[in-house]
Amino acid sequence: MFSKPGSGPAVLRKVTQEASKVDPAKRRDFLKKGLLVAGGAIAGTQFASTLHASQNNLPPNLPEWSKSLGAGVITNPYGQPSSFEGDIVRRTVPWLTADRIAAISFTPLAELDGIITPSGLVFERYHAGVPTINPDEYRLMLHGLVERPLVFSLDDLRRFPSTTAINFLECPANGGMEWRAAQMDALQFTHGMISCCEWTGVLLSTLLEEVGVKPEARWILAEGSDGSHMSRSIPMEKALEDTLIVYAQNGEPLRPEQGYPVRIFNPGWEGNTSVKWLRRLEVGDKPWYHREETSKYTDLLADGRARKFSYVQEGNSVVTFPCPEKPLKEKGRYELEGLAWSGSGKIKRVDVSFDGGVNWKQTRLKGLVLPKALTRFSLDFTWDGSPALIQSRSTDETGYVQPTFTQLREARGNSSIYHKNAIHTWRLHADGTVTNVQIS
Amino acid sequence: MFRLAKSVYVVFLSGALLSALPVSTEAGAYGIGKPATAEEVAGWDIDIRPDGKGLPPGSGSVEDGEMMYEEKCASCHGSFGEGVGRYPVLSGGEGTLTDERPEKTVGSYWPYASTLWDYIHRSMPFPQPQSLTDEEVYAITAYVLYLNDLVEDDFVLTADNLASIEMPNKDGFFFDDRPDTSNTGCMKNCKDPASVKITSEPAIATLQEDKTLAVVEVAPEGGEKVYNQACLMCHEAGVAGSPMTGDKAAWADRIGQGRDMLVKNAIDGIGVMPPKGGQSQLSDDEVASAVDFMIQQVSQD
Repeated sequence: MFSKPGSGPAVLRKVTQEASKVDPAKRRDFLKKGLLVAGGAIAGTQFASTLHASQNNLPPNLPEWSKSLGAGVITNPYGQPSSFEGDIVRRTVPWLTADRIAAISFTPLAELDGIITPSGLVFERYHAGVPTINPDEYRLMLHGLVERPLVFSLDDLRRFPSTTAINFLECPANGGMEWRAAQMDALQFTHGMISCCEWTGVLLSTLLEEVGVKPEARWILAEGSDGSHMSRSIPMEKALEDTLIVYAQNGEPLRPEQGYPVRIFNPGWEGNTSVKWLRRLEVGDKPWYHREETSKYTDLLADGRARKFSYVQEGNSVVTFPCPEKPLKEKGRYELEGLAWSGSGKIKRVDVSFDGGVNWKQTRLKGLVLPKALTRFSLDFTWDGSPALIQSRSTDETGYVQPTFTQLREARGNSSIYHKNAIHTWRLHADGTVTNVQIS
Repeated sequence: MFRLAKSVYVVFLSGALLSALPVSTEAGAYGIGKPATAEEVAGWDIDIRPDGKGLPPGSGSVEDGEMMYEEKCASCHGSFGEGVGRYPVLSGGEGTLTDERPEKTVGSYWPYASTLWDYIHRSMPFPQPQSLTDEEVYAITAYVLYLNDLVEDDFVLTADNLASIEMPNKDGFFFDDRPDTSNTGCMKNCKDPASVKITSEPAIATLQEDKTLAVVEVAPEGGEKVYNQACLMCHEAGVAGSPMTGDKAAWADRIGQGRDMLVKNAIDGIGVMPPKGGQSQLSDDEVASAVDFMIQQVSQD
């Protein structure tokens, strides 16, 4: 289970923060005492008060920070979150992959509000680690069945008219660990391979126009320049619809983790088609059937056959409060919140059940409701201390209703790994804690 | 969605959408970008298709491939393609695709042999991508096919015969036909409350806080950063007989040889370990800092 305030890592962090305010001469002694607390030796004694709220800083007293000056401008030329929020970080599950170079980390969904994921918290997925690319040495080659094969520099790409869109980015393996049974007891790990950002770049269709596509062209190969040279075949229809060649994310240059300086971005589609550190686009008449669209990222069904080129991330949703990381601390009034998304378009509605799917209530969609973007929903409720089985169910603008786990397993069996979008269940216990379960 | 795609194809062929297809032989509308020369394209155009398009001339035998595989691949994939640790299993698994635990390997799952050539050439060996010659790629591809009983031991793979190799699961794939579920979105009395049972919960034992969550890390600097980049892949798990980081017994004798010898071996390579762990861009000092980091890991209490 998660560390609650006052236990291990959280205490350590607070000890460090407190120590930073202490006169350096006394710091070592302070740390020593503090670490004793962290070690569990004297939890709850006089020391605890320095770790949490001090009465001296609460009304009617004037808080410490109101009686002195704070840090000036450019103390942090690139601003960082409050030092009190150091637990809001990406995390990984070490046993999932063989090493940390071809691996994945998860977005802390429980800690986020709104629909935009801060760039530094977007989940990571690498096949050969993050390359360091000098933007002056960046080139994108566009060739194949085209009239004029061209090479673009980053400056070249920025000269084309740009397009900005808010879209989710989701790894198709999101929730994959839950196919056979409930396994992970945290929202970060059951659903954290998703994020939603504002992406800016040039439409691929604009570049295709610039090179002039030959009539027999049907597919485009996107290839990365990292050590894995990740490659995916993308149908021409998608390229002409909304595929972006992206160089900015949430208003600033793409983060290295997200493909700096340039990635391709296919809204609503499985994340690995949005190849990072993009170096090459080849136009062809057939798909390439590379490793990441045969051996991986195909969906094996119960009958032994497998679905290929299953690009769209279908309608999905999850309750983000309450959840294992965010239990209910007392009875009373709360606002349930969650996120819904669909790679097929806008979210039309989200329903929530507290009794494991017997009865449902329609929720309110909050803020922006955009196609192929995270959409936040909420429902006010009063908790009387009863246990509950909390679920959410999205419906998108095509009429697609998120399936139950039973329906999904009937259709596909247990071996698909990818594209698990079943209705998720949180078990709310009488003490307010929340755990991950699957139900019949 | 692919079903949509097919309908668009039809429209394409009828010509009604041709205006949407950016066909033009004139200069691009913006005139931005430089022509890609044939030489530039040749340097980067590495993709291979199932019909063999893209294959460079060349050949390689199962026999030659065996030695190369043992040297460059077996440390992660195992001598028989059985996989080491969590690195991918390459062989076996025939007839398991409908099992409770299917084993998806080159032989049991992959639809085309071209994918193997393409992937080995594009991404492998993991720590030294695109370091193999075309001849080596042919030979290693031939050997992995042999490990899967798809070719005989005297087989020689060439640019001409690769496309004709038939993989057992070539007909095992079909285009996306989702949605494949239809939830009605019922709102009231959707099922018998008595039928709602918990069917699974995470096993608490697998989720001990420290194991799952103690991955909040400060960005490493210096030797640790180099270690993560160049050494961790093998030394973290003890791949290919490498001494595992933090394993005091495995390091005792090595440290006995002195730091200078360890640094020298790390720079020059030793046994199956390539020079600088395959990261030739690292300076000698950077390699030394990683060695120091690894020594530190077995010197602390």
